[in-house]
Amino acid sequence: MATPTLIGADRPLDFEALPDKRPRHWPFSPWHLFLIPLSAAMLLPLVWSVITSLETSADAQRFPPVLLPSSLHFENYVHAWNSLPFGHFFLNSFLYAAATVAGNLLFCSLAAYAFARLRFFGSNLVFVLLLVTLMVPFQVVIIPTFLIVRKLGLIDSVGGLIVPNLCGVFGIFLLRQFFLSLPVQLEEAARIDGASRLAILFKIVLPLSAPVLATLAIIQFMWSWNDFLWPLIIITTPQHAPLQLGLSMFQGSHVTQWNLLMAGTVMSQIPMLAVFLFAQRWFIQSIAYTGIKQ
Amino acid sequence: MADVSFQDVTKQFAEGTLAVKGLSLAIPDGEFMILVGPSGCGKTTALRLVAGLETATSGTITIAGRAVTHLSPRDRDIAMVFQNYALYPHMSVQRNLAFGLRQRHVPRDEVERRVAAMSAMLGLDELLRRRPAQLSGGQRQRVAMGRALVREPKAFLLDEPLSNLDAKLRVQMRAELKRIHQRLNITTIYVTHDQVEAMTLGDRLAVISGGELQQVGTPQDVYEHPANVFVAHFIGSPPMNLLRATASAGRAQAGDLSVELAHVPDGPCVLGIRPESLSLMAPDDPRPSLDFDIEVVEPLGGELLAHGFVNGRLASPDASEETPLFTGDSESRAEVTVKLDGRLRLKAGERVRLAVHAGEVYAFDAASGAALIG
Amino acid sequence: MTLSLAPDSRLRRALGSEHLAGWAFALPAVALIVIFGIVPIVWSAVMSFQANDLVSAPHWVGVANYRALLHDPAFAASVRHTLLYTVIFVPLSVAGAMLVAWALNRKLHGVRFYRLAVFVPVVTSTVATGIIFLWLLDPVFGLVNFFLSKLGIPAQGFLSNPNQALYCIVAMTIWGWLGFDVIIYLAALQGVPHELIEAAEIDGAGKWSSFRSVVLPFLRPATLFLVVWSTISALQLFDEIYVTTRGGPLGSTTVVVFYLYQQAFQFFNGGYAAAIAYVLFLAILVITIIQLKVGGRRIYSNT
Ligand SMILES: Nc1ncnc2c1ncn2[C@@H]1O[C@H](COP(=O)(O)OP(=O)(O)O)[C@@H](O)[C@H]1O
Ligand SMILES: [Mg+2]
Repeated sequence: MATPTLIGADRPLDFEALPDKRPRHWPFSPWHLFLIPLSAAMLLPLVWSVITSLETSADAQRFPPVLLPSSLHFENYVHAWNSLPFGHFFLNSFLYAAATVAGNLLFCSLAAYAFARLRFFGSNLVFVLLLVTLMVPFQVVIIPTFLIVRKLGLIDSVGGLIVPNLCGVFGIFLLRQFFLSLPVQLEEAARIDGASRLAILFKIVLPLSAPVLATLAIIQFMWSWNDFLWPLIIITTPQHAPLQLGLSMFQGSHVTQWNLLMAGTVMSQIPMLAVFLFAQRWFIQSIAYTGIKQ
Repeated sequence: MADVSFQDVTKQFAEGTLAVKGLSLAIPDGEFMILVGPSGCGKTTALRLVAGLETATSGTITIAGRAVTHLSPRDRDIAMVFQNYALYPHMSVQRNLAFGLRQRHVPRDEVERRVAAMSAMLGLDELLRRRPAQLSGGQRQRVAMGRALVREPKAFLLDEPLSNLDAKLRVQMRAELKRIHQRLNITTIYVTHDQVEAMTLGDRLAVISGGELQQVGTPQDVYEHPANVFVAHFIGSPPMNLLRATASAGRAQAGDLSVELAHVPDGPCVLGIRPESLSLMAPDDPRPSLDFDIEVVEPLGGELLAHGFVNGRLASPDASEETPLFTGDSESRAEVTVKLDGRLRLKAGERVRLAVHAGEVYAFDAASGAALIG
Repeated sequence: MTLSLAPDSRLRRALGSEHLAGWAFALPAVALIVIFGIVPIVWSAVMSFQANDLVSAPHWVGVANYRALLHDPAFAASVRHTLLYTVIFVPLSVAGAMLVAWALNRKLHGVRFYRLAVFVPVVTSTVATGIIFLWLLDPVFGLVNFFLSKLGIPAQGFLSNPNQALYCIVAMTIWGWLGFDVIIYLAALQGVPHELIEAAEIDGAGKWSSFRSVVLPFLRPATLFLVVWSTISALQLFDEIYVTTRGGPLGSTTVVVFYLYQQAFQFFNGGYAAAIAYVLFLAILVITIIQLKVGGRRIYSNT
């Protein structure tokens, strides 16, 4: 995937507003006949990978498959963890995601505010230029970016992952649209109160932009955490690999050991899953927060 | 505290609108000055020019004798109350009040002292922990004023601050504003389109129309001696009745009304008569008079308003080059409003004879709209 | 930092102007985007007219790369695979998501659980998805073949069968994408007035036609967005291919971006890869514009 996007993010989904608060006490709805098999099909791959991850290597290589293992082999996770530097993978992914989230929040906020509120020389032209890059797929820039990162001496390092992704045009665009929707009088009041442009951004605009900042942070985090192609191209040393690349390396070295492979896979997905469950609530709270109207 | 002045200030927006045209106005230290005019006449723009939120296209603005035309708002040391208050929604009342002081690096204990004093003066003590969303309209209004005044600015700017309040609260806040001004004696510029506010609040008022200053003076002065037909019509409620007239040999004739106006040159002119300058004619009344067909009667208690028709033609108050005074409808019946004693029992459809109070007939030049003064 | 300048000095005025502040605010972002966005876009265009092995000095070859593309059967195959994948994936995933969102947008016992089940694959990485499906579809030990054997169907090759592999990739990516599409549709359904939804829910004849004429117009913008966005993503399919088939078996899943990756980073034909990238870019641009034109007109004519 090229650019992280979520056009729906201009109106984040409000789960509380969806009609499920007070279920009607129907004994049965035909929709269950559709939704139960669907849910089963959606969950089956994950459930099956968890089951396999707890089986012995012999049980995993059996047909018909062992659907319920007689004993649970949690040591598979320990083996998986030790067979490749999974600690590094997690750390690298965390650094990659955290640094790009921080970079995007900071640089996109500054630029978005400038494009939303400051009339400066060349701003329209530059903004159009940025929008054009939004339409170009990642594949077009991948080779030159590789050469640039190599020139910077950042090949095969986490820095090489982070630096090209510190600031995305999508973030600038998303934040600018939001900033434009804030009442300009608040900023004028702050200017009269003696606040500098920087103070206005940090003390007035950003505190009022929590929902959209959360949206940007979540999307960027998810994108960096699951990024594969860019790490695949610039990282060769396992110690410098982020999680998804590490998982792929792990796959290459354990082709037929499905129980270990599944243990590694499950392990790698847990943090993002946790963040997702947490982020669902965040969105809702953010909406409640912007509900404040003057 | 300081005086504020406009010297030949013009503001033209990028897309061409001329919002303020050659405005010159001096506001001495401590004065309560009202900028009044119809919506879109450039009042807000004039105020924002003082605040530094807009930059003048030409001319000079001074505050305390210093030219500030190109300074940013924070270097001007003024305070402003916005029409919709613009309170910071994510801050408590306490932090809203303290924000400006903090930005100016006032020491912490000094901030607390001043916020406490301001909150006591405006009765905000109970509200300090609340957020703006938890306040009523009147309370927000108070906080907005407190936030502006707590900085002890050189000048205090208000843009239609009462327009979002209900009628009762508006009267109350009007009195409060007056009280605050008497107490702090801060140079105040107050923008409104409401001529009642303009008359009751200001030391002086500046009437603006189409970006141009029409007249400056005390409310009484402007009411009694309007400089032109626009001001005459705009100030006073209900507005002055304007009739087309022809003058010759010291008399002006409008319909069946004929008044002696020695100073009016021969030719067409406009006669202005305020609704309160007319009363029922007594049988042997020597004053000039005219017939009035009552159409609607609005009793107001002590007074009543009667709307109806007289013989003659209306004149328009919009004296601009494109719309001379004598355009518009050319009916031979002119609709006028009269303010009479509330104890009179008048009925719609009745015809009465009205007398014009001596010396209360205004005359204006038919071409320029300027007052013809005797 | 306190500059002790007279507040109305010329320097102070210049420092306080919006030009300076604007550029100071925008500069870090603009610099990053120029270096890692605009320069590479231009460079890539230049490179597509060069022979470039990413190591030694490049030299000009004119339009040779583009001409070679026209006569490259492997590239033609990759285009065919990509288009086939896109044409199946996009309608299936978008229509399926609309149905699922419609089912989930109601008061129902357990609907929170159903929603979670649909959303969870969204945060599962493409690499993990690939590995898990590789296991599920394993020709020898796979769970899917086990289910088929229960139905009396013989074991299938799936990802190792050149005739099935691409369809397996479709199934796998639909599983991964469905939740995203459903979230967009649920958000769109929030904008549909309740009475309309209820009207479309009333049992009996004309249920489908009332859904089509009443609810569907509200979902058009979301549908257009999803069609455009899924098409763009489908044309750029890579991760799942790399993890599961590496383009095989017998090149049956070699899609354009995978071919591009091979040319650039396995065979080091930088110039050739850049030409592929630009052709892809152009194709995406044209297809997107057509979709927006057609879809935009339908939205317009329906409101
Ligand atoms: N930022 C702006 N850009 C362009 N025109 C403006 C702007 N602000 C005000 N105007 C125009 O200037 C004129 C005066 O506006 P304003 O000062 O707001 O009037 P008032 O406050 O007296 O109602 C109006 O015609 C208005 O449309
Ligand atoms: Mg105004």
